[in-house]
Amino acid sequence: MNKLERKDFLKLAGGAVAGGLVGTTLSGAPFNALQWLVEWTQDQYRPTGGSETFRQGVCSACGTDISVRLIGDRAVKVETANAGCPVCQTLIQILYHPERVRKPLKRVGGKGSGRFAPVEWSEAIKDISDKIKELRAQNKAHTVAAFNGAHNMLAGALVERLLAAIGSGHVYNEPCFCSLSAKAAKLTQNSEGALDYDFENSDYVLSFGARLFEGWGNQARMHRVLNRWKADGVKLVQIDTLGTRTASMATKWVPVKPGTEAYLALGIAYKLIMSYGKGGNLPELGRWPGINDFNPEKVAELTGVPAVTIDEIAREFAGARRAVAVAGRGGEMVSSSVGEIIAVQCLNKLTGRMGVPGGVFVKIKNDRLGAVRQDAAAQAGMAATRKAKGLDDFIKNGEKPELLFVNDANPVHTSVFGKDLAGKMKDIPMVVAIMTMKNDTARYADYILPSLTILESKTARGDAAVAPRYSAKHGADIILEIAKSVEGVAASFPWSGYADMAALVGVERRPQGNFNLNIEVLRTYLDMLKKNLEGAAEMPLALIPYEIPLVGNGASLSLPYVLKGVGREDFAFERLIVKMNPETANAMGACENSSVKLKSSRGKTASLKVHLTKTVAPGVVAVPMGFGHCESTRYAEEKGVNPLEIMTANIDPESGTADWWFTRVKLS
Amino acid sequence: MNTIIEFVKTEWNSFSKKTKIALLVLTALVGLFGIFAIQILFWGLGYTDMNNTFAMGLWIIGDLGFVALGGGAFFTGFLLYIFRVDKLEPLINSTVLIGFMCYLFTFILLVFDIGQPLRAWFGYTYPNWGPGLMPQSMLTEVIWCLTFYFIVLCVELIPVPLKHKILDKIPVLHYTGHYLHRLMWIMAAVGTFLSFFHQGSLGGGMWDVLYAKPGWWRAHHQFFFMAIVAATAGGTCFMIMVPKIAERIMKKEVAPKESFYTLARISGVMFTFYFIFRLYDVYTMAATYVPMADRSFADTLGGYYGWTTLIPELLLCLVPITILNVKKLRENEKTLFFAVICGVTAIVFSKIGVVLNGFSVPNFPWRGFAGYFPTVQEWSIMIGSVATMILIYWGFAAYLPLFPHMKEQESEE
Amino acid sequence: MMNVRWGMSIDLDKCTGCGACQISCMQENNMPIFDEDSDIPKRVTFLDLMKVTNDFEGGKKYGEVQTAFIPKMCMQCSGNDPKNPHPPCVTVCPVVATDVGDDGIVSQIWSRCIGCRYCQAACPYEARVFNWWKPRYEGDFKQGLNSDVSVASRGTVVKCTFCSHIWKRERDRAIAGGETDINKVTYTPACVSACPTGAIVFGDLNNPNSPVYETRLKNDPRAVRMVHSIDQQPENERARRMRIKDYPNPKVYYLSSQKWLRDIISGFQNS
Repeated sequence: MNKLERKDFLKLAGGAVAGGLVGTTLSGAPFNALQWLVEWTQDQYRPTGGSETFRQGVCSACGTDISVRLIGDRAVKVETANAGCPVCQTLIQILYHPERVRKPLKRVGGKGSGRFAPVEWSEAIKDISDKIKELRAQNKAHTVAAFNGAHNMLAGALVERLLAAIGSGHVYNEPCFCSLSAKAAKLTQNSEGALDYDFENSDYVLSFGARLFEGWGNQARMHRVLNRWKADGVKLVQIDTLGTRTASMATKWVPVKPGTEAYLALGIAYKLIMSYGKGGNLPELGRWPGINDFNPEKVAELTGVPAVTIDEIAREFAGARRAVAVAGRGGEMVSSSVGEIIAVQCLNKLTGRMGVPGGVFVKIKNDRLGAVRQDAAAQAGMAATRKAKGLDDFIKNGEKPELLFVNDANPVHTSVFGKDLAGKMKDIPMVVAIMTMKNDTARYADYILPSLTILESKTARGDAAVAPRYSAKHGADIILEIAKSVEGVAASFPWSGYADMAALVGVERRPQGNFNLNIEVLRTYLDMLKKNLEGAAEMPLALIPYEIPLVGNGASLSLPYVLKGVGREDFAFERLIVKMNPETANAMGACENSSVKLKSSRGKTASLKVHLTKTVAPGVVAVPMGFGHCESTRYAEEKGVNPLEIMTANIDPESGTADWWFTRVKLS
Repeated sequence: MNTIIEFVKTEWNSFSKKTKIALLVLTALVGLFGIFAIQILFWGLGYTDMNNTFAMGLWIIGDLGFVALGGGAFFTGFLLYIFRVDKLEPLINSTVLIGFMCYLFTFILLVFDIGQPLRAWFGYTYPNWGPGLMPQSMLTEVIWCLTFYFIVLCVELIPVPLKHKILDKIPVLHYTGHYLHRLMWIMAAVGTFLSFFHQGSLGGGMWDVLYAKPGWWRAHHQFFFMAIVAATAGGTCFMIMVPKIAERIMKKEVAPKESFYTLARISGVMFTFYFIFRLYDVYTMAATYVPMADRSFADTLGGYYGWTTLIPELLLCLVPITILNVKKLRENEKTLFFAVICGVTAIVFSKIGVVLNGFSVPNFPWRGFAGYFPTVQEWSIMIGSVATMILIYWGFAAYLPLFPHMKEQESEE
Repeated sequence: MMNVRWGMSIDLDKCTGCGACQISCMQENNMPIFDEDSDIPKRVTFLDLMKVTNDFEGGKKYGEVQTAFIPKMCMQCSGNDPKNPHPPCVTVCPVVATDVGDDGIVSQIWSRCIGCRYCQAACPYEARVFNWWKPRYEGDFKQGLNSDVSVASRGTVVKCTFCSHIWKRERDRAIAGGETDINKVTYTPACVSACPTGAIVFGDLNNPNSPVYETRLKNDPRAVRMVHSIDQQPENERARRMRIKDYPNPKVYYLSSQKWLRDIISGFQNS
């Protein structure tokens, strides 16, 4: 073999390199490499595959059957087959939320610092039960209190039972239409249940600010009702200050001056008695001299609804076969006083719509858990309990509890006294929050106990769709464990788990025709209303709340897909948007997109953006609810403003709940 | 190594104070370009003010502007090598360099503008040609024509540095440059052919095919050819403007006056054509095309960028038309300079109008006109590109035989 | 060969704006998750639930102004001739990342897209969205991702495809069950199945038995198509215009008994 010359070698090597390059290029490898580079630089996640299965479940928010699609063991979609509510669709996001509480959390920082460390269940339960034992031993059982979330059937019933067994009556529900109307039913019908309208059989619906298709009541049901109304040509008359979607969907929208719904109800009642001969059904109202203040001319002046319209509504209402008048202003968050609900109920009574198909029923809690066995300490505690009228009353005027349970509620955000409550909670020795994700109230807790989400919970109708994640437990199971660890309390809790009890708690609709008008309650309310409406001249505007679809009271704002659905006229570019009539804006020197702050006698909001629309009455500022969380996962925190902080805080003497519907404000 | 440092030092010290400041400012702008380029390429286009309604913005205006103005290169080459307008010879090097830089930065801006710069080559490997000979997507045509014409410009540019006194002494390079130069008419012909297509497609065709958008849609041939005329008119003005600015800075005559006047005369004619074409375009838009979507032309010209770009464009067009078509005014240095600046601005306004107003027109009756305010990232990359172009041109003018006429004069002296 | 042309009709009289369709769509199509998503023009979502009022109508006063919601997804345009579809966005794509299938669905291959956004410029319905930021799925949110829909990269355009991946799923199921006629495969997109009032209806525009039979919808006085006022033109004018240019010819029909709503949906005829 010849010796390889230097030159030849170079040639050969050069040829090899060139050939290699050409070959590599033609093979497509560099292009593949670029493609990999693209994917690598983007680091894109690929969902893992698996076999597809469907599991049946129930959405406890609306009671609809759902079908959960799983890929392997991952739940990826909830199918509702044209039923259900928007919450059904968010269940996956709730289930897999990265900020779910995974283990019991114990406060490590100062109260309200929001710093927590995970602990074992046994440690948390022992600590809590020790506190209960200590209070009972010191004859302070009545200083245990609990806040229940609005729609929390089983766990809510158990919390109530736990406190009864411990010896305290301080159980308060987050205000909702059920809790408010239950107070009205108690006063007028001597019933323990909430009002339940038989929409399925009505043919004429007169709604006093109840935004029936925007979160009011059970959304799945209201959507079914809507379809029936459309099919049967049921007439819906919507009385509302804002041109909401419900108002636009109604057969007729009756714009009303802010906060004067009760006046209009009484005006219609006056017409029913005086012109349509319905007085016989409720002679007390006809005999009340005050009713004469509500003749159509006067009411037209008070409410801005023309006398002829009032007459027309009264005539139609009197003439309809199955009419019903609906109270409960708002959507998911209802703000009505007992007096106002009673005023609306008068219409149902006058036309004989109580307890009949298409009219008003009463929804009574059907609790088959059995009687609570109270020992001596419990009986003493019950005797010492001075129960407040309601949640807001308790926050404002109640005595300071020593131990507070917060069961899936968020009064720090949803109560007008949220800030006061936050301040008070710092002084409560022990606060136990039971919830799936930290919220504004949990920030001030000592323990946060993780509860299950809807998809992980068994129901009376069957197994859970998805196995429980982390070490979360069902709210009822948590209460059960606490109860069982306290001697003297355990006896009232013989069940082994929440599945045993699921069928024992429910509601039952009952027809109840009796109605005793409590004129005194009505009169007190009318006085309060008059005082509230007569604002000082320096507060020329009325603040009226509205809710954004899906956002509702703001609890779901922690779900990114809900956040993604908020429209450009509600919350855009990190700014909450209030709505005003162009006339108002002109008079106040505001314009589209200008920044304003709202000031009421209670305080001032942060800056808000203005959107002009004639769906809002002149002189009114419409503000969306649900924003302005201080603690509610990174998705909801520090976004927008919570208008409740400046809203009217007059506590309704009957329900013990603040009626914040109407607030006098000015721009600043 | 030391000699290079020494050379740079002496060069730097030879500059006047104003020159030093200008150089520093330009370098700083290029630096900003670099910084924000990294941000955009690594973290994406979220940092721009473009959005799903305003899908394209400043950079696309830059592309349209660069290509249209750089189009002066193909037109001048066409006139010189095909029509043998030999008076343009002293300007051709500058023209080719400007064209080269405009196209280079069009590519660079396009790479920034697409969301997946690493997939930019998909345009060559998966082109949307459609069934026939003509490409289905105007953008496919743009990508291919732009690429080929850029290659042509590279070949056209090579002889310029090769003429440098040091490089010219190397025989291989000397002959390469010589023969390339002799082949230049082929390059010019190919370049004209290619440029013709992408001028039309990027400036016009790309927008007029969007049949669902009343702000843009019109007969394809109309807007397509109008964009070509715009490029010839604006491009020739630009090819006068840049050397004129160089002349004012260097205070030396860079090319014979005759060359400028010849090009200016042609530009004046092209601007007249363009103006008539544009008026016809506006008329047909108002009378035929916009009403076909049940909208009025005046309605699509609302917002921030409608009338505000159309009227200045038309008014500015009138300046080169009057000045460049009148011998006395054309051969007056001041009015000539004013006219070419107005001409260039008019074409830039037309490009701004096409992009901004087209995107701004609301798609739904319940929406208003959209607004667009480029972010600092967009401005930096845009201005940084221009600064880089100025620096390159400066380098060529100062150290390479960009203006043979200037050298000739120096040697005569 | 597919004879089916998928289409949709949305009864706005039944739409309360509850948002179930939107959430269902986001969950089905793996929409990215951001801490802050209120930069609405840059938001990535296939179904936009638009709130509209008739504020703009001159002379309308408080008390007369109404609110409505319009769910807007991709309209799956076909151009004048549905047999030879020419959607505005498909032919403009320089890299064939988007195409129209023989069932009329405009698809988008996210891994092919270079992100030039020319299709966004072409779309009159703002139905195409661009991933301005990298799509993120914090922590366990990854568990809820649908493996039928690939997660898009940053810098690509994505769009609603009438959930055609569900069709593929149903097709595979039908084939496994012994069905050989591809035209018998039916499916329901995520937004349609989630609608609690049944306002959104889906089916075959060609089939007289389908709830969205196109001939019937075209004669329905309540039906309009989005920004497609040529539908309201007299027959000969419509024919004249369609000889000159393509119109989007979308496959989504909006039904409303409100004239103002039909007017603003159907386009700009008042301007």
